Amino acid sequence: MLTLKNIDAGYGPTTILQDVSLDVKAGEIVTIVGANGAGKTTTLRTIVGQILPRRGKITFQGEDITRLHAHDVVDRGIILVPEGRQLFPDMTVRENLQMGTYRKSARSDQESRLEEVLTLFPRVRERLDQNAASLSGGEQQMVAIARGMMAKPTLLMFDEPSLGLAPIIVSQVFDVVRQIAATGTTVLIVEQNVFTTLKVADRGYVLENGSIVLADTAPALLKNDHIRRAYLGI
Amino acid sequence: MSHSDISAGPDTSPGQAHSRRGAIALAGLLAALLVIPLVIDNAFVSHIFITICLFAALSTAWNIVGGFAGQMSLGHAMFYGIGAYVGMILFQIGISPWLGMFAGAAVAALVGMVISYPCFRLKGPFFTLASIAFLEVMRVLALQFTSVTGGATGMMIDLRLGWTWMVFRERWPSLLIVFGMLLITLAVAWAIRRSRLGFHLVATRERESAAKAAGVRTVRVRLIAVAISSALCAMLGTFHAMYLTFIEPAAMFSLVFSIQIAMFALIGGIGTVTGPLLGAVLLVPITEWARASLGSSALGLHGFVYGMVLIMFVLFMPNGIMSVIKRFITPKPPTDEPTTTETGPISAPAKAAEAPSPDRAGIGSDILRVEGLNKNFGGLAVTRDVNFTLREGEILGMIGPNGAGKTTVFNMISGFLAQDSGTVSLRGPDGQFHQPNNPADFAALGLGRTFQIVQPFAAMSVEENIMVGAFHRHHDEKNAREAARQTAWKMGLGPLLQAEARGLTIGGLKRLEVARVMAMEPRVLLLDEVMAGINQTDVRRAIDLMLSIRDGGVSIIAIEHVMQAVMSLSDRVIVLASGEVIAQGRPQDVVRDPQVIEAYLGKEFADAHA
Amino acid sequence: MTTFLQIITNGLMLGGLFAIVAIGLTLIFGIVKVVNFAHGEFLMVGMFLTWMITTRMGLHPFASVILVVPAMFVLGALTQRLLIQPLMGAEDDHVQIFATVGLSTALMNLALLTYGADIANTPTFGLRAPIELGPVRILTGQLYIFLAAIALVIALQLFLKNSQTGRAIRAVAQHRVAAELMGVNVPRIYILSFGLGAACVGLAAVLIAPLYPTSSNIGTYFVLTAFVVVVLGGLGSIPGAFFGAMVIGIVDSAAGYYIGSGLREAVVFGLFLVILILRPSGLFGKRMTLSHLS
Repeated sequence: MLTLKNIDAGYGPTTILQDVSLDVKAGEIVTIVGANGAGKTTTLRTIVGQILPRRGKITFQGEDITRLHAHDVVDRGIILVPEGRQLFPDMTVRENLQMGTYRKSARSDQESRLEEVLTLFPRVRERLDQNAASLSGGEQQMVAIARGMMAKPTLLMFDEPSLGLAPIIVSQVFDVVRQIAATGTTVLIVEQNVFTTLKVADRGYVLENGSIVLADTAPALLKNDHIRRAYLGI
Repeated sequence: MSHSDISAGPDTSPGQAHSRRGAIALAGLLAALLVIPLVIDNAFVSHIFITICLFAALSTAWNIVGGFAGQMSLGHAMFYGIGAYVGMILFQIGISPWLGMFAGAAVAALVGMVISYPCFRLKGPFFTLASIAFLEVMRVLALQFTSVTGGATGMMIDLRLGWTWMVFRERWPSLLIVFGMLLITLAVAWAIRRSRLGFHLVATRERESAAKAAGVRTVRVRLIAVAISSALCAMLGTFHAMYLTFIEPAAMFSLVFSIQIAMFALIGGIGTVTGPLLGAVLLVPITEWARASLGSSALGLHGFVYGMVLIMFVLFMPNGIMSVIKRFITPKPPTDEPTTTETGPISAPAKAAEAPSPDRAGIGSDILRVEGLNKNFGGLAVTRDVNFTLREGEILGMIGPNGAGKTTVFNMISGFLAQDSGTVSLRGPDGQFHQPNNPADFAALGLGRTFQIVQPFAAMSVEENIMVGAFHRHHDEKNAREAARQTAWKMGLGPLLQAEARGLTIGGLKRLEVARVMAMEPRVLLLDEVMAGINQTDVRRAIDLMLSIRDGGVSIIAIEHVMQAVMSLSDRVIVLASGEVIAQGRPQDVVRDPQVIEAYLGKEFADAHA
Repeated sequence: MTTFLQIITNGLMLGGLFAIVAIGLTLIFGIVKVVNFAHGEFLMVGMFLTWMITTRMGLHPFASVILVVPAMFVLGALTQRLLIQPLMGAEDDHVQIFATVGLSTALMNLALLTYGADIANTPTFGLRAPIELGPVRILTGQLYIFLAAIALVIALQLFLKNSQTGRAIRAVAQHRVAAELMGVNVPRIYILSFGLGAACVGLAAVLIAPLYPTSSNIGTYFVLTAFVVVVLGGLGSIPGAFFGAMVIGIVDSAAGYYIGSGLREAVVFGLFLVILILRPSGLFGKRMTLSHLS
């Protein structure tokens, strides 16, 4: 469904990604793990068109989307739930969710989708008319995911959904990710929280210093010596 | 790494060759400014050259604040006007402008400092707006206080000719004076740019927080810059008043005039020493000629040209003519040695360090005490009652999930963020505990820190970046450069010394962050995730390097996610979760703590360890 | 007492004038995050357009609104597209400052070049006729400006609150990157917003032209006060700009009467500096001051 081929990318003159290739098949949960600063967020931002790659090719459902701007990529159904939530702080939760339906193919049947999403996140329903900035971190994360779902994504990408959340909330978030995947949405998830993520994912890539150093099924990665050494200190 | 290796940088000789070529070109240009009008000996030509020198000097002086310090003042005519009025008023009561210009300089420097001090917290366009507002206030005041300034009718000098009164029938003495003033202004700008002050100013402009962390007193250095800049402008104002023989508020405190001053610097190259001169040399003759030849038939033409030139430069050459010249005179690197962004290896110390342990012999008494630290952001508790101590020569690892408040703790124990309650005490070299409350005071006591999100001085070279840190210990440019080079080679940045910081990879920037703080020779070192982005082969070397730093007597707190590093570095570990310290102690004990496993490491970690 | 009432009324009328000039400025700042130093010259251009249309066609000045407002929208949109957008990525503030300062200088002198230093008087069509409201008198035109300012504030609020595009504009203003992730074409929203801001000042120009003589430097006269208003009202806030304008209007009017008309400006700018300096957090909002550290 999504393929990255030999991608180099970075900000300004700073190069972050070097020769990154990966693919995501329809219906999968794929994860990219790695330390802070390894280039995980950059990878997602490159996919979604916020950064133009210097080299390489990105295709989505057979179409070359390498040079597309973010809003055009989003129009094709690739939705990113960004790191740190990034809600619209001075809008109500409802307005935030409405922003999710901005892309054209998400504008129809808004109401029924809203109902679906609110069933999944009962807390969000209680907060519908509050300003987004007044929510707790966990609630904000739920709204961010809900907003992403409102956009009717074909591929939903998560950037560090566990960031700054209490462990109990983290497991709730990952439960939700599982449920979303179960409805047939393809998921690409980027995490620093290596083990929890690999438990949820089908396959994983390990990113270090902007390059993919390992790619395997999630269970195999969980047993991998390098992972155990680098991320556990064993 | 020996000394001779370090100082023999790969491109020292060609570098010197350009600077020699540049100096010759500059000398030629300056000589032309003086010789051409003297030879032609035509009143109009002399007038144009005087105007060039005046604008070049004003613009160079502006550049000290607008360029080096990055404070975009569009009110600089205020200082020029103050100089003009003070000089003129003193002239009227029989005091020579040679003295008057110093009086004007003193007044302008004082006014500059008083009004800039509160304005420094304004960023970008708001500083600019404030500077315009001050200029307007000044103009209105000059109009109103008729008894002193003559109000709207202005002031005309009584004709007292001669060198004492700086008033002449011919043009050439005025040309000599303004040319001399231009030379002085250029010399001052050049000296500042090379000095510690200059580095501090540019560092503050590029990244204020990082400059503060390097011990720069950012407000003080900018005040000094403002004082120098406004004093120079005032002296030029006094000269110009004598040259014009008539002054009025509308002309002396003019926004248009202010914009022109800044504009020559932009066109020549903001922040460069000779850029403003170039800008004035290129633009003044064209517009003066247009003004004289087209006269009133084309009212507004020269202003229109100025505006369009500004727009064109901003769009197509935002770094001015100097950037283009630099590109031309800097030779391409020899083809056999491609430009590298590769860092060298981190130099690991020869002898193995003692393994970490809370009861190591090298550990001394407390050096940093943190007691009851609380901080709320908008009602959200980010840290709650955080207590810990750091002992001399110890490495304290700090771990915890993202968002646990680790960086907030760092910000509070380095003076970047005021705690809501609690104390941070740091033992100074005098043996006493102090409670500093701003970054510069923390730095003065020997505390250095890095930032999790790297904060390079983007427009400076790697060497200059590290020099900003080195200036903390060294006051002399040569020594600072030498110290910076040594640190760079240690951190594997030797091959990149002359590269611009903004071109580095994330890994390179992380090293630069550490190198800058190392160059400060700190006693207490706060490292915020410096291992992230260092490749696996270098992690081991980096660990050894840190251990050797520790053995040099430096006490370290390190926030880390790379568990390998945490486990093999830390004498003790402290775990933060949701703003609270949930565990501290030996690394091996902490990672088995059930609370830590639940909050941070995850059950799988424990399973893997079992 | 009557004098006092008259001063307050004058202040409110003046406030309406400042508000209608400042609304476009604060709109552009709030969304595009650019301080448009050429805003005053936009006003000046609008006033010259009004003057030309009114005198050439012999129309009521208010009729020219159908031409001036769209023309100003285009001018604003072009400014964003051709001048600001290429500079959006620039690291240094000075680039954007100089860009709009350059535009301001160019427009002002272009007007000087085209129309000379003479003053252009737009026909008043009775707009300078005083009306009595109880004990106080005001000019008809002033009242229209005041009412138009209120209407503009309400219209903009409704548009921003309730339309899909308005919501997208607010989203871009609050979090540009997140808005992009929702599929919002951010550059287009910026062009639209800059155009809207300029269109607002176009409306202001039409209303002001019959009351004030038009000249190439009229913009400077208004814009500095507009900056004061925008800062006082909280940058980017439209209702804030309105109330800020009322405050400044009253201060201006009172200072003119009690202190002397020559020092009015000094008082207004003095107030401006005090606000700028004492309430910087109010200027940038808490979120921005914290974002630098974490």
